[in-house]
Amino acid sequence: MNNIKINETPVRTSRNFRINNIEIDGTSFDSEIGEFNNVSLVGNSEAEVSDFDLTFGLGELPINQIKKNANQKIRFDIKNKTDKDYKAFFEFDKDNFSLVDNIEIVADEETKGTVIIKYNSDSKIAAFHNGLIRVNAKSGSKIKIIIVNLLNNLSINLLSIDNCIEENANICYSIIDFGGKMSITNYYSNLIGDLSENRINTLYLGSENQRFDLNYIGELRGKNSKINIDVQGALGGEAKKNFKGTIDFKKGCKKAIGSENENCLLLTDKAKSIALPMLLCSEEDVEGEHSSSAGKADNKELFYIMSRGFSLKEAMKLLVRAKFNKTIESIKNEEIREEIIGEIEKRL
Amino acid sequence: MSKSNIEEINRNIYDFKNKDEYDYKIKKGLTREIIEEISKQKGDPDWMREFRLKALETYNKLELPTWGPDISELNMDEIATYVRPKTNISSSWDDVPDDIKDTFDRLGIPEAEKTSLAGVGAQYDSEVVYHSMKEELIKQGVVYTDMETAVREYPDLVKDHFMKCVPVADHKFAALHGAVWSGGSFVYVPKEVKVDIPLQSYFRLNSPESGQFEHTLIIVDEGASLHFIEGCSAPKYNKVNLHAGCVELFVKDNAYLRYSTIENWSKNMLNLNTKKAIVGKNAQMDWVSGSFGSKISMLYPMSILNGEGAKTEYTGISFAGAGQNLDNGFKVVHNKANTSSVVNAKSISKNGGKCTYRSLVRIGENAKNSKSSVSCESLMLDDFSISDTIPVNDVRNDDVEISHEAKIGKISDKTIFYLMSRGISEEDAKAMIVRGFAYPISKELPVEYAVEMNNLINMELEGSIG
Repeated sequence: MNNIKINETPVRTSRNFRINNIEIDGTSFDSEIGEFNNVSLVGNSEAEVSDFDLTFGLGELPINQIKKNANQKIRFDIKNKTDKDYKAFFEFDKDNFSLVDNIEIVADEETKGTVIIKYNSDSKIAAFHNGLIRVNAKSGSKIKIIIVNLLNNLSINLLSIDNCIEENANICYSIIDFGGKMSITNYYSNLIGDLSENRINTLYLGSENQRFDLNYIGELRGKNSKINIDVQGALGGEAKKNFKGTIDFKKGCKKAIGSENENCLLLTDKAKSIALPMLLCSEEDVEGEHSSSAGKADNKELFYIMSRGFSLKEAMKLLVRAKFNKTIESIKNEEIREEIIGEIEKRL
Repeated sequence: MSKSNIEEINRNIYDFKNKDEYDYKIKKGLTREIIEEISKQKGDPDWMREFRLKALETYNKLELPTWGPDISELNMDEIATYVRPKTNISSSWDDVPDDIKDTFDRLGIPEAEKTSLAGVGAQYDSEVVYHSMKEELIKQGVVYTDMETAVREYPDLVKDHFMKCVPVADHKFAALHGAVWSGGSFVYVPKEVKVDIPLQSYFRLNSPESGQFEHTLIIVDEGASLHFIEGCSAPKYNKVNLHAGCVELFVKDNAYLRYSTIENWSKNMLNLNTKKAIVGKNAQMDWVSGSFGSKISMLYPMSILNGEGAKTEYTGISFAGAGQNLDNGFKVVHNKANTSSVVNAKSISKNGGKCTYRSLVRIGENAKNSKSSVSCESLMLDDFSISDTIPVNDVRNDDVEISHEAKIGKISDKTIFYLMSRGISEEDAKAMIVRGFAYPISKELPVEYAVEMNNLINMELEGSIG
């Protein structure tokens, strides 16, 4: 084992709080990456992905692996004025178990599009996924991005997301993060344009010994820019989650609004939740707020459901479904919705 | 007419300085020889001398924090860690030398003692110069004395508690404190004794390029109660001064302790203080904290709820002006069932000042049916100040209710407009709003301190407009 620290928070706090970063085995980034061919794409472009340097990202080793050894490079060029679906579905199996993907989404001015990116795995495969999704939303574009991680609990899921949102552009994310013995996400949005907007709705669901480390960072630079981060999760078994959310109001982002809300439902007494919802502010004329909460299911609600003939387990599932419902219902694609609901049933 | 910037504000009450006269000042730096010399000068018993030397070893092994404000300007080779004033401890103000007595007179301490306190301790540089307590409390068995006397007269009690709540290895400045501590107060409140009127210790650092490392140890025994107030100030010098005090509070079963602080160190002070409380079964620990001074402050009082049903509340405000970086907050660890914590933190930044609220709420595996509620509000008074909120909520069992809320923003234009439409000037309107913002804190303070806090807010705000 050669442990490395990744997913650093933009501002450090005491080391004793154990949330500044997460340690993982660094040897995963040394080994040879084979081919990954089990991918189905809709609406991708023939153009090459561009070179990049990231402001954040998971860390040097994972990002260098993507730069040098990506085995899937996919680009979506959104040019439509009306909404259109773009898809990248990845299926891990015994022949395709390591994926290093570099996905670039470029939305032209005043365009619309929905991009769905989904990762599934064969139940017996210990998959390795290290991915990067870069989005450039040009002026006036309206983009929806749905990321669905349904990998099994033997897998490792690493994901860096980097958004640049220009004037009057809007990116709305739905992130379903259910899979992986370890699922680590670094999300960064640079709201550079005036009136730019970013909404993120994330669901995580942990069971067994799963570990989640979510590091969401939004930097507001444009006047009247807006970010809303809403993270809802449930943890069963001995699952553990770190949520690190940072809203950073940079000087000049007058009238910007930022809010983040994280709520964790603890389903067992072995599950653990750590939250670090940060607000950093160098501009006076802004509104920023965050809230974070954690706790078990409400006994009254459980009692009510059980008095209608449901078992405790079923009542718990219903509560989790209800908690996740708003985000799931916002996904227009019915097949994906049904798949997510099926996964909740299976994983609980 | 309002003044144009904070530097023009009259801080005479706090910034006056006496001539740097002392009976003994240790040479600058931090070596084994210096620690041995401090120990010799203070007449430590052997166990304390050994303790200091071990703490120095720990200090040399530990790293500076890798987070928070930049404290690289602190050079221990430039700091004298022990300055003995030209007087012995006294229980009558008449016996205190005139220049030192004058200092405390100007700070209003003897007057407050007469009107509203049950006991007073006053420290000047490294030693306590005055200590007294009302006769009736002495009769009830309450002990309120300086730490050096406590080490001599209550060795077992001190040995059992000294740096047990804040271990030397807690962080680099706790280790530094263990090596060079001097002065401070010791309080013991016997079982079931209720001390109705507050005790107060005031710490004044006069000597330039020096440090103050007072140790406050309070034991509130079972069923007893106490309100303790701590005040601190220093004149301003060009080079940094260091304050690395340590406060250890033991609140035994069913006891109650309120610890109030108005901190108004000068703006060349690095305030790297450590405060912790261990709270017993059904006991309650309340912290009230107003932080106005210091160039850099890293201060995170902590309650460790070790008894079932233990409670804690933190009510604090920080006010950072030009050149100040106040990194304050609160830590609470819930270790037992049915424990609860309530945090109400506020901060105000202006004239380029930086306020950071940094916190930890940890609910352990055994803390079933525990509750924690945190509310944090930050007010920005201009567009070149900074305000950050960095809270950690760590939940390790499912039977908990924990909520955290934070808000950040400026004074509402609508509210100012409303007040101005009623004939109030913009400056007065802002001051009124800020006082209202700080009211939840000031109402928790004894009235004299609430007035002092409001004066500080007025004084700070005077420079913020125009």
